[in-house]
Amino acid sequence: MTLPTCSPVCSSRLRPFLWLALALLAGCTATLPPAPDIPATELSAVPFFAQEDYQCGPAALATVLSWSGVTITTDELNRQVYLPGREGSLQLELVAASRRAQRLPFILTATPQALFTELAAGHPVLVLQNLAISALPQWHYAVVVGYDPQRQRVLLRSGTQERRWESYTRFMASWRRGAYWAMAILPPGQLPASISADSAAIEIARNEPLLAPDTTLQAWEGALARWPDHPDIVFGTANARRQADALPSAAHLYNRLLEHNPAHLAARNNFADLLLHAGCPHAAQAIIAPALATTANLPPAIAATLGSTAADITRRQTVTAAADPDSCLSLTDTAPR
Amino acid sequence: MFTSRVLIFLQVLVFTIVSTVGTAHAAVISNSDHFVQTERQQQLAKVESLFARDVVQQQLVTLGVSPADAMARAAALSPAELTMLAQHMDELPAGGILGVLGVVLVVLIVLELLDVTNVFSGL
Repeated sequence: MTLPTCSPVCSSRLRPFLWLALALLAGCTATLPPAPDIPATELSAVPFFAQEDYQCGPAALATVLSWSGVTITTDELNRQVYLPGREGSLQLELVAASRRAQRLPFILTATPQALFTELAAGHPVLVLQNLAISALPQWHYAVVVGYDPQRQRVLLRSGTQERRWESYTRFMASWRRGAYWAMAILPPGQLPASISADSAAIEIARNEPLLAPDTTLQAWEGALARWPDHPDIVFGTANARRQADALPSAAHLYNRLLEHNPAHLAARNNFADLLLHAGCPHAAQAIIAPALATTANLPPAIAATLGSTAADITRRQTVTAAADPDSCLSLTDTAPR
Repeated sequence: MFTSRVLIFLQVLVFTIVSTVGTAHAAVISNSDHFVQTERQQQLAKVESLFARDVVQQQLVTLGVSPADAMARAAALSPAELTMLAQHMDELPAGGILGVLGVVLVVLIVLELLDVTNVFSGL
């Protein structure tokens, strides 16, 4: 991963860099992607927080967080993301602060197309711009809230300007120098329009350990509504429902997943574990049995977990030889509910 | 010196605990196990992140953040993010500008006139 650098550059070292940068930039500007052909957009409902001093990070973050329904002030966010010694804010700290407000930080695919897809879907996008040149970076965060195809310009909440228009070329050049970094923060349960099912699953799972279970459950449910048959999304939602103690609805998803993907061993393991904890060791045994037959070529971690679940089930079966109670039928029943 | 020895001791301790106890009670494959990394990788990342957390917290304090805020900020970062910041905090961009000073200014005015940059056309 190459990272833009932000080290101070002294004047004697400056000149050669600048000529080089100038030469490079002259070439670069020509290759910017063409302006998108989307209808005129202005997201007027996006609030504005004016930047004070160097605090464009807290201001831009407050803008998107507050649009997503979080009540927060720039003062609070200053304490969460501003670095006095750097006179600025780091991208990863914006990501972390978003989680602290119980919002999933979605880093978009680094392409202009992703940005304009979000805009067309009504989502403001927080972007990192380098307003100067690569050798002398001047990093700035702003929020994209509109686009005017007629005059080819982009509308931003930026710095002290509530409605700042930038020409498409200038905006794109500065944003490209920020490696097209863009983050969408959406109301609970909503996902970026530009995200794929695979990335959604990974992004939600990656942030899950640092979010309240309720927040991730809502995100998984949102993903499930959009991709009802995607195995990763079904599995992730099932796990989240289980964690929220919604056992019947979690069981329903595991059933559905295994019906179409009988070889999904992680689902087999987790469903068996759910059944075991719901007092249904026989049903659990029936679910895990096919997985145990195939453990030969498995990654050791999954094999170990399956083995551990199977051992728990056997232990329970020896303690209570009685058949599962009738309530277990409702958990293994594949009928939709 | 003392601190680093303590940290190494802690790392060994945590590693031992993690590798002996960790897998024994894991009967559920969590979403982060399944989608992000295996449980073992996560545990190793967690151990590494103990160092990283300490480093990041100190860096934040050095850069003017209060110790209490620095602790809360480090706590909100994932193991991978902590490792990244511990190693690269100085090189990562810190967005925040509202003005430009010095020699840079002259050069940037030229670039601005050439329509290459947009530092001065307002922020």
